[in-house]
Amino acid sequence: MFERFTQDARQAVKLAQENARRLNHHFVGSEHILLGLLDRPESVSARLLIRHGLDHERAYRAVFGMIPPHAGDRIDADALEAIGIDLSAIRERVEAAFGPGALDRPPQRTNRGRLVSGRHIAFTAPAKKALELSLREALALKHRHISDGHILLGVLRAGPGPAHRVLSGADVDLETLRRELVAELG
Amino acid sequence: MSDTAQLASDAGSRDPAVGLRAVRALRMLVDRLEALQVENAREQGWSWQEIAYCLEVSKQAVHKKYAGGRGLLRREK
Repeated sequence: MFERFTQDARQAVKLAQENARRLNHHFVGSEHILLGLLDRPESVSARLLIRHGLDHERAYRAVFGMIPPHAGDRIDADALEAIGIDLSAIRERVEAAFGPGALDRPPQRTNRGRLVSGRHIAFTAPAKKALELSLREALALKHRHISDGHILLGVLRAGPGPAHRVLSGADVDLETLRRELVAELG
Repeated sequence: MSDTAQLASDAGSRDPAVGLRAVRALRMLVDRLEALQVENAREQGWSWQEIAYCLEVSKQAVHKKYAGGRGLLRREK
């Protein structure tokens, strides 16, 4: 499925993970996908959402309010400094090898019982569903590629959930948005 | 050592609250580092045996912790 994603769509998925990371959340949900779409204001999906009064900042605040960051995840840098360990130096090297945020979260148990490093942020079932539905939306419109606009259609189609709560919190009319998206995608 | 660290160690080297906080932080750091390193080793094709050898723990221990303990020996290389 991901091979059909356009550059914009891939960016949106990457930014969804990035937003989850910034919020210190342990998962990527549909609300983070929404944030990923909004993070590029010039994209088709973001332009429409902004016209409806929802920009990245507003959505970010809404998600932040819904799910507070995991405060207990922070490694106590001051306590380490007291015994002569410079956490920022360690973080810098670890991130150089394993990517940004590699030390920010504790290891997580997958539902298959494996323990994986905090570098990975898993997609929730509704988020996966929204991405799968973006493919279905593209097929229904007889489009060969999945763009960021199709992802937003997928999020809308996925039904009630955190992303819908953010949208309705900003009084976005879902049916109108849907129609505009379909028209925009041609 | 930075000024802050010097200050902290002067003021509280025998203070259990400071020392214990540091131990806890260090443990969190080690847990995260170990998970990253074990994962990286597996991605590079290392066997559980090789990983266990480097960590000086039993193969069973590292497998149980990271592979979830299911299929022990069966999935073993």
